[in-house]
Amino acid sequence: MKLRVFSSLPILPSFFLIIMVALPLLPVPGYWITLINYIGLYSLVALGLVLLTGIGGLTSFGQAAFVGIGAYTTAYFSTAMDVSPWFGLFIGLGLTLISALAIGMITLRMAGHFLPLATIAWGLSLYYLFGTLEVLGQYDGLLGLPAISFFGFELRSSEEIYYLIWLFVLLAVWSVNNLLNSRPGRAIRALRDGPEMAEAMGVNTQWKKVVIFLYAAALASVSGWLFAHMQRAVSPSPFNLVSGIEYLFMAVLGGILHVWGAVIGAAAFILSKELIQGIVPLVGIEVNIELIIFGMMIALVLIFARNGLWSLVEHFIPPNRKIEFNPDAAPLTKRIKPEVGSRVLTVNSIVKRFGGLVAVNGLSFHIDAGEVLGLIGPNGAGKSTTFNLVTGTLSATEGDIHFCGESLKGEHAREIVARGLGRTFQHVQLIPDMTVIENVALGAYLRGSFSAQGGVIASLFKLNKNEEDRALAEASRQLKRVGLEDEMYQEAGSLSLGKQRVVEIARALCSDPLLLLLDEPAAGLRHKEKEELADLVLQLKSEGMSLLLVEHDMDFVMNVTDRILVVEFGTPIATGTPSEIRENPKVIEAYLGGIE
Amino acid sequence: MDWFIAGFLVQDGLTAAAVYALIAFSMVLIFSVTRVIFIGIGEFLSFAALSMAALQSGNVPATVLLLIGLGFITFMALLWQAFIGKNTRIREQLLIDAIKLIVVPVVFYFVLSFYAPMRGNVLIDITLILLLMLPFGGMIYRIFYQPIAEASVLILLIFSVAIHFSLLGLGLLMFGPEGVRTLLITDVNINLLGIPVTGQAIFIVILTLVLIAALWLFFTRSLTGKALQATAVNSRGAHLVGIGSHEAGRLAFTLGIVLAALCGVMISPIATIAYDTGFLIALKGFVAAIIGGLYSFPVSALGAILVGIVEVFSAFWASTYKEIIVFTLIIPVLLWQSLNGKHHH
Amino acid sequence: MIKKICKWALASAVIALAINVHASDSVKVGVILSTTGPAASLGIPERNTISLLPTTLGDRKVEYIMLDDETDPGVAGRNARRLIEQEKVDVIIGSTAVPTSIAAAEVAAENQTVTISLAPYIPTENQHPWTFPLPQTVAVMSESLFADMAKQGIKRLAYIGFSDNWGQAWLADIDRHLIKHGLELVATERYARSDRSVAGQILRVLGSRPDAVLIGASGTPGVLPMSTLRERGFKGVIYQTHGMANQDVLRLAGSSAEGMILPTGAVLVAELLPENHPSKRQATEFVKSYESRHGEGSRNNFAAYAYDAYLLLNDAVKRIDGSIKPGTPAFRNALRDKIENTHELAVSHGVVSWGVNQRSAFDARGAVLITVKDGNWALVE
Repeated sequence: MKLRVFSSLPILPSFFLIIMVALPLLPVPGYWITLINYIGLYSLVALGLVLLTGIGGLTSFGQAAFVGIGAYTTAYFSTAMDVSPWFGLFIGLGLTLISALAIGMITLRMAGHFLPLATIAWGLSLYYLFGTLEVLGQYDGLLGLPAISFFGFELRSSEEIYYLIWLFVLLAVWSVNNLLNSRPGRAIRALRDGPEMAEAMGVNTQWKKVVIFLYAAALASVSGWLFAHMQRAVSPSPFNLVSGIEYLFMAVLGGILHVWGAVIGAAAFILSKELIQGIVPLVGIEVNIELIIFGMMIALVLIFARNGLWSLVEHFIPPNRKIEFNPDAAPLTKRIKPEVGSRVLTVNSIVKRFGGLVAVNGLSFHIDAGEVLGLIGPNGAGKSTTFNLVTGTLSATEGDIHFCGESLKGEHAREIVARGLGRTFQHVQLIPDMTVIENVALGAYLRGSFSAQGGVIASLFKLNKNEEDRALAEASRQLKRVGLEDEMYQEAGSLSLGKQRVVEIARALCSDPLLLLLDEPAAGLRHKEKEELADLVLQLKSEGMSLLLVEHDMDFVMNVTDRILVVEFGTPIATGTPSEIRENPKVIEAYLGGIE
Repeated sequence: MDWFIAGFLVQDGLTAAAVYALIAFSMVLIFSVTRVIFIGIGEFLSFAALSMAALQSGNVPATVLLLIGLGFITFMALLWQAFIGKNTRIREQLLIDAIKLIVVPVVFYFVLSFYAPMRGNVLIDITLILLLMLPFGGMIYRIFYQPIAEASVLILLIFSVAIHFSLLGLGLLMFGPEGVRTLLITDVNINLLGIPVTGQAIFIVILTLVLIAALWLFFTRSLTGKALQATAVNSRGAHLVGIGSHEAGRLAFTLGIVLAALCGVMISPIATIAYDTGFLIALKGFVAAIIGGLYSFPVSALGAILVGIVEVFSAFWASTYKEIIVFTLIIPVLLWQSLNGKHHH
Repeated sequence: MIKKICKWALASAVIALAINVHASDSVKVGVILSTTGPAASLGIPERNTISLLPTTLGDRKVEYIMLDDETDPGVAGRNARRLIEQEKVDVIIGSTAVPTSIAAAEVAAENQTVTISLAPYIPTENQHPWTFPLPQTVAVMSESLFADMAKQGIKRLAYIGFSDNWGQAWLADIDRHLIKHGLELVATERYARSDRSVAGQILRVLGSRPDAVLIGASGTPGVLPMSTLRERGFKGVIYQTHGMANQDVLRLAGSSAEGMILPTGAVLVAELLPENHPSKRQATEFVKSYESRHGEGSRNNFAAYAYDAYLLLNDAVKRIDGSIKPGTPAFRNALRDKIENTHELAVSHGVVSWGVNQRSAFDARGAVLITVKDGNWALVE
């Protein structure tokens, strides 16, 4: 993902900054400044949507209601209570966060189209609430708000409030950018495309959804606060559903996958309306065709630039995905490895039923430290189910699983990875538009310190330098270990399947596992790629790693494992060393015979 | 609350539910074939009602001019594809398309200007309006949705918002801001267990039931219906049956818009319809469609009944808080549906 | 790089200066109207009037610059800034609805520019000296309406109104009449402009057995409660507000409008006014010019507000010293003073006077009580 415009192109942003600072000082018509102010206000909300909808995959039509909470809170406190607008900002933020937390806890569990509709529902409820509450002036709203004062200086005119608005916008862009390039941020970027994978890396995806929902709501609330004191009056209508739709509209128009898409989208939205207002009187004032032209213009933009206007800008920016970090950062703390030969994993007669279907029927096996076990069997033998039972994606109907002597019963995938069970996926689960090193660093998710250094708040304000250095240095070490250091800064989606599987192994290694579980690592690989993969497995074994290989490909397994377990219809039919298995008549009949 | 009030509210709520259900069906239909959440469907409901009112007051509805305009633009787009884009398949069909897109709308204009001053029968009015709305679906799909058919659901949705803005503006331009009512199909009033029910309301409910049955037959019995459903599941499968995904898209839009137009002409005798009313009715239909997960017709119908009933009863109990009640009550329903319906997807 | 920035700055400065230069012979009037969005049915007639206005104001040439605010206060505020900062207007007419008017007036007052609002409301302290809401306030209009209720011996009144400012303003006004006229408010219901049905609310209203029902609505959406009441056999009096006085309402309501009573400005019944009515001439002139363009019966209160705003401005500009050039703060100040000193100016709706502490332009002469007889407007005797 190309999120690093500031670092990749220092000239462009600093030029932009200089213009932004100088603009009101130049003899620019005051109205331009007003328009730019509105662009700023809308950008804040749209930016929240980039984080929430574009990156996180959670579509919300309800942001206007949070703008409303921010605006109404400060309006109420600064008129009825006569307190400083700054106080109103913090109360507004507090109220917004509390309501967003309550709403988020309830609705963010929803899947599919239910969530967007829920956002419409609570957005409308809040909007009508503004119109019916007597303390908020019902449909008349609240009038006569004071201007924001800054160290005794009142920000009354467009030029004066301009700096405050854009200070917030730039802060917001900066903070969202920081967040996305951090430990929690990489987890957030996995929410849309790989929630299951993120859980398996130890991410509490439900909570991450709440986090971005809260931040998007907070940005909307700040926008409402600025809007209220710029407009000096609030009434319900700017916070209705149509505005909620319009914010999403801006984000998509600008490019919902990119922080600057929010700003460009807001600018395009407002400027095109202005442009049309300038053209229409030439046609005649007795008709209203603004809305018609506006709709058509947007439709055309989307037809020709489906991913928003930013994608056109991006066209001219040379991609630079290099990420700066200190490679000599102190290494992350490691787990104490079990002694070679001690029992790592014990699976004791597990059974898994799906309704009437028995997928796994009384399977038992164990793995010792430093050992490579292969689990093979024909399609539908229950291999994947077994894999999912061990990694906590599914829970067993009967039987138990012990890891390093402790039961995994009832444990969630997140807790299991925390115990030192690293895994890969049968269908590669990388975030394709994230660089390889970032994908791998996601594996170290649980190895960071949470609140002080690597938490969301620290990440927003870039207080996580040390934390980031250590995580990225670890990721680069693991990439070196698997031989992919040259591909470190490529987009993961651009690699061949073979390399993507290796990236998955590196990501799993990044979690410092005691046991590595590989789910059909050779599936779909070419011969050469298989050989390289086999070498990697042997290398890991020689480094003392314990491995469980669930595989379909017989030859591959024969060459790299110490022991093999063959299953069919959910029951074990043979176990032994590769050479024993090769000669086992049952196996030849059930499995090898079937293929050849 | 006595029996009379409860009964009266229920019949009012069910009439509304019938309309929401039809709108929900057209949304589900369009979505399942094209992945487009077509919120502009509401404008077509308004257009149909407003066109009918214009016709009944002796004027040619402006909608026919829109049809001529859109037909012309579509034909230009085809010419572009045929000659600049060198698409030979389109070139071969150009003559048929010229008749469909240029000649038919113009002929329709003359038919309507001949018919409008005569003040004919309500059923003829309805037939003419439905015929008038018939070609819109294909044109809208062809001009706007075909070029971005592969975009993500979110982008298609935002695209629909843009189209909705334009249609809303066109509605205001063509019909002005004030609302209309059209003539009743029947002015019979029936006393049902002590509850007065208008013949129009009964007509709407029966029509909805008939359409549900017809849609069910269409999707389970007819080849086209099966193919449409196949597109919904898998567009390659539909190709094998012989229906291209674009053809299916055009068909879904046509059916959806005709359903919405039918809602418009049915409800306009008992509800005031203005250019912007359709959007709000569509929103309720959308709620019902989503309760049905955007795929289930029967669950959508149940959702429509829920919305219709909750709406009238909350208007009775606490009209000031009506909308808050309706939309807050939706959330637990959605939660329940979402947690129960997960494995369907 | 620095060279580039300098060039850019220079270029933008030149453009900016070019834009800032403006002629100052003619008066520039900015008009902000809600011609789309929920208030479109009010804003569109107002817009229709603007295009009929003469090309002079007082003895000076005039230029109207009209913008649509989509019934959105944010857009209205932005439009006001555009008119003041970009177009350098001398005065703003608008907006159509209360929230949009408030937003526009806030900006105008801050920039010391007069706003003549076409929506009735009481300006805040901050806006007060620069803001002149023209239409009759609800209080002015309701006076005669409630007097009529007393005359008809009504004791039990029910209210159903829009869930918006309009519905709220009328509901808030009822209180002060209750004791004075010995009324009891037996039901209070709200509905949305776009509601399909008001069956629930009407059953509630009927359950409270009112003698009369007051409907706080405007335009065609106000017909729904009325027709539902009549369908459900309500025999009492139906009172409506002046928002309902237009031809579309009559067309849509049909027989259910028969006998409804509502206050309006004089303009709606221009022909029926007695010859000595102060607004007779203005009302007749306006109706003639408006209807010759927009058709028989197309007159309505909102179109006339825009016309009255013109009459008010015309009168004030006439009284401004010829040496004061438009486009200057002096002109804007003079205009404000002259408007504030307007005394007994006959306009199409009634008679307008303003004063330093007076916040409503019309007195009782701005309200006429009308009813519908055989499908046409008629004066209530």
